[in-house]
Amino acid sequence: MVSNNKLKRLHASRDYIADNFQTSLSLSEMASQSYMSQYHFLRAFKESYGETPNEFLIRLRVEQAKNMLITENFSVSEVCEKVGYTSLGSFSSLFLKQTGMAPTLYRRKLWALSSEAFRFPSQVIPACYAYRFLGKWPR
Amino acid sequence: MITSIAHATIYVLNQDEALDFYKNRLGFEVGDDMQVEGGFRWLTVYPTSKPQLQLVLAEPKEGPMFSKDAAEKIRGLIEEGAFGAGVFETEDCRKTYAELLTKGVEFIQPPTEQLYGVEAMGLDNSGNWFSLVQRKK
Repeated sequence: MVSNNKLKRLHASRDYIADNFQTSLSLSEMASQSYMSQYHFLRAFKESYGETPNEFLIRLRVEQAKNMLITENFSVSEVCEKVGYTSLGSFSSLFLKQTGMAPTLYRRKLWALSSEAFRFPSQVIPACYAYRFLGKWPR
Repeated sequence: MITSIAHATIYVLNQDEALDFYKNRLGFEVGDDMQVEGGFRWLTVYPTSKPQLQLVLAEPKEGPMFSKDAAEKIRGLIEEGAFGAGVFETEDCRKTYAELLTKGVEFIQPPTEQLYGVEAMGLDNSGNWFSLVQRKK
């Protein structure tokens, strides 16, 4: 089990990743925030958070991309750049892996479902909440 | 077979203020923060090491679920401290208690030995009670 002190240092790296996920981050840069070797950082991070630093980084970027694709009018290439990817191909395949849809299809589907421009459709939240707060019965 | 709980609701008086409290004082992470059609803000937070359980920070407002009168009553009950946010676990209750105190979290009971471990009781900035528990091992 990771000690409290180590956990505190890992939190510093995690916060650093969360604050800088739009930039290109290297493993050594992330590990340096915890004052650990890359190898130990990788192992301790996975043990503490259940995902590798890279998986965490991808998750943050894809979540941000999902948000931007729905609420902003940027092109997919612009979204890709804004969340920290330089290659549209890598971004698209990671997005597809996380959501099961290509970015353009994700945008098209969600925009088509929503009754308001630049708003998430109620289907993105669990039906019991959509019904309770929005009065939308699941379709 | 039900395998886990994915979402639980905490009613708060103001989502912006609750987000600030859960994120910057308790150290939770933001799960979803999105504007959904119909003017609804879907806002969830989770403890860093447990993204599987999302706490929905919801404001009681007039709508399909609550009449205006009911929403006002719920808000009044939150302010009175009638609701609980739940039990948050920690490895070291006394240490976390001290950390949270420095962040301005209000406690109504300091760490106390209980049958099940060490427990402190605090309030979020809406008035919801929560327990901070270090389980006996």
